[in-house]
Amino acid sequence: MMRTIEILLVIIIITGAFIIAAFFAVLPSPRQVSPLNLRRLALTTLQTLDGDYSMSTTVFKPTGDSSWASLQIALSASLPPNIVYNFSVYEVQSNGKLFNPIKSMSNARDLGVGSDSASYLTASSNVSFSSTPQKIGESGGGSTLYILNCSDANGWWITGYTAQKLAGDLRMLLSPYFQATIMVQNTTQLGLLLNGTKITSSPYEKVASAVLINTFGETVPIPSGYYLTQGAQDSYAKYCYLLGQRVRQYNWTWASIVGWPLYYVSNTVALSGSQNGWGIYGMVMVGSPGLQSFLRGLDNQAYAYGNSQTGSPGVVYLSSVAKYYSDYYGIFPSTYSTATRALSTSILGTYHLSVSTCIFDQTGNWIAGAVYRHAGTGAFLSLGLARTPDVRLTAVGLLSDYKPRLYRSEYTAAGTSRLVVLQLGQVGGA
Amino acid sequence: MTGATIDHLVSVTVFLAAIVLFIGLFNQTIQTAIIYQQHRYLASRCSDILDTILLSPGYPINWGKTDTYPTFFGLQDPEFTQYRISPYSLMRLQSVTGTPITYPKTGLTYSNITMGFGNFLLVPYTKAINYSAATKLLGVNNTLGFQLTVTPIITVTITETHASNPLTASVKVYGLGFPLSNATISYCFLKVKASQGNTPLYSSTFGTIFADDEGEATVSFQNVASDESYVLIAYAHLQGLVGIGYHERVTSTKRYVLPLIDSFAQRRVILAHSYDVHYGGPPESAVFFNATFVLLTEDFTLREMPMENSTGKIGKVNYGNGQPYANLTIPTYNPGILIATYKSNNEDGIVLMPWGMSTMAFPVTFGDKLTDKEWIVTSIRQILVNGIAYQAKLALWSFKGYSVVG
Repeated sequence: MMRTIEILLVIIIITGAFIIAAFFAVLPSPRQVSPLNLRRLALTTLQTLDGDYSMSTTVFKPTGDSSWASLQIALSASLPPNIVYNFSVYEVQSNGKLFNPIKSMSNARDLGVGSDSASYLTASSNVSFSSTPQKIGESGGGSTLYILNCSDANGWWITGYTAQKLAGDLRMLLSPYFQATIMVQNTTQLGLLLNGTKITSSPYEKVASAVLINTFGETVPIPSGYYLTQGAQDSYAKYCYLLGQRVRQYNWTWASIVGWPLYYVSNTVALSGSQNGWGIYGMVMVGSPGLQSFLRGLDNQAYAYGNSQTGSPGVVYLSSVAKYYSDYYGIFPSTYSTATRALSTSILGTYHLSVSTCIFDQTGNWIAGAVYRHAGTGAFLSLGLARTPDVRLTAVGLLSDYKPRLYRSEYTAAGTSRLVVLQLGQVGGA
Repeated sequence: MTGATIDHLVSVTVFLAAIVLFIGLFNQTIQTAIIYQQHRYLASRCSDILDTILLSPGYPINWGKTDTYPTFFGLQDPEFTQYRISPYSLMRLQSVTGTPITYPKTGLTYSNITMGFGNFLLVPYTKAINYSAATKLLGVNNTLGFQLTVTPIITVTITETHASNPLTASVKVYGLGFPLSNATISYCFLKVKASQGNTPLYSSTFGTIFADDEGEATVSFQNVASDESYVLIAYAHLQGLVGIGYHERVTSTKRYVLPLIDSFAQRRVILAHSYDVHYGGPPESAVFFNATFVLLTEDFTLREMPMENSTGKIGKVNYGNGQPYANLTIPTYNPGILIATYKSNNEDGIVLMPWGMSTMAFPVTFGDKLTDKEWIVTSIRQILVNGIAYQAKLALWSFKGYSVVG
């Protein structure tokens, strides 16, 4: 009988051991075994919202600004319905209290059965080392940059891009250096400009001594009316002549970003029935006389129809001047390129031009890229490269020629960083 | 003596029974803990593998823009960091949804992502990465199975509310859990114009509208007859979130051109007569086409990119032997939408093909099917595909059942 009692005692001890072990060895709930990684979801949500720097812009705005509401809408729309959030923004301070709460928004009273968070540091637009560029023509009140962005014209030899895309890129690269940067939105505005009329109400716009960049490659937009009728002679070579005259008259710098300048004219409305020989409608081929006519106009010679000449020196290299200013302005195009539309050095004497800035080293009698200044007034930038265009070369060429200074400013950290914390919780289920 | 023996027998029997019982109980607890541990390990692997796929461009890094197979699998856009995914690498994933089609004239089978009539993405199996290859490149073949789903976060639904003069359409913009109130919506409206010749002509209109508090907006177009074909493409954006929707109306779905990817490296697309792929039967009329390309610019507006004649933008295709397909070259590696207007026997229509997966917000489901799996774990990331907000979800499971891995 004693053995049985002993065994029963043993069983009681083992049962106790099992109960104690079971009490401490608590198995996690299924949600904890296979959890949704809320931390990663929060981080990637913040990165998505800041994909185009929208969130960074918003968190530095006053707390009553309407963009906060837009941010909350976007946040709610980007998260699954079973996820609740608490979005908080803190200002990072350099003294005393490290984080100062700015704003918090949430879509629930609590964060459910489990939550996790991710933080994301945003910087305001003036947090990085900044520099203030000198404005080109500052002593004379500042020059205006006109970028042809005509919606009623087609480009050529800008394969892979649209003129509008290139115009946007050029605006970003060059607008800090000009008192006013104006996008010429259609050929009507271009016509006004060619007549010496301002096209905006900006007090900074000045037609004289402006820089005009033709983003349409080998094509140049042509306005309806006077220029279309008077310029129609010799398959619109006369229009190119008129352009040259205007460049001289207003002391413009005309920039051609790629290829053989002024080889086609385009107006998708007025020339809608014509095509350039390669299937692009709204465009007419002027051919090589376009450049010759332009240069005659620039040199104030009488109009005459004749061919211009370009060459293919092959691989060409950035000049030392262009490399220096490439470093100075922080614009880094490739140091070599292929030139198939380089201009001949013979134009220098024929049209009284001088090379004020060599963008690419001269190869034999061919100049692949340079800024040419006329002995009187007016200048002309030409990049006779093979497609596709690199607008950074245009920017480096213009800046190398005008040489605006950069005034460096000091880095200031106070109030320039904000910490965004997104805490996510899961609702529903066990 | 007998009593002591009985006492021993009873006690030993009870003891053995108790031991067996407790071994079973402890074993059950331990076994459950081991399975839980395995599942937790699987969840951890799931998160790791998803990050491996999304945070590496693979090798070669631009494999999405080539016709070659990668030697390492990853989907990150090589031009960016973080969770930004290449729209071209996504195009090269063999879809698990959609019935593959075979085109006899190339002799190839095509992975099929079709989002309703007229919205096609057909990639040849010879150029698409299949699931088996991906598991080997990730080093999980025979141990883990997965399914990767990439779906757009923003849904833009376009509904025609009035058929003609003016044509009116309602645009609704929704996120995963909320309407995208006050979103800016850029649209491209392309209409097939009546023409005397065989080649279809089209006109395009671009504009911008704004959604109301419910995420809805209305757009109308004059001079559109009820029997005219058109497509309306709308991009909605708000605070970094961008979504796309589209709606087509065609006068004929009997004969049309079907775009098939031919080469990513050459940016070449085959335009096939639909009868060669879907129907067979008696000879049918030729289909004439006129294609164009529309891209989304950085300021969220749509622009048409002119295509040269040499790209093959205009032509005709016919059905049957001796009738070759047409080749068309997309002019750029910038993501956009190939729009092909077609005309046959005075019936016309429009088909679309995304160049870069995100431009038409096509979803992708890549991997194995989810049925008959013992335990599936998932992990989610928000990603950007060429600026379009997507959600990537990886479902992962183990082939090793209940045993402990690792």
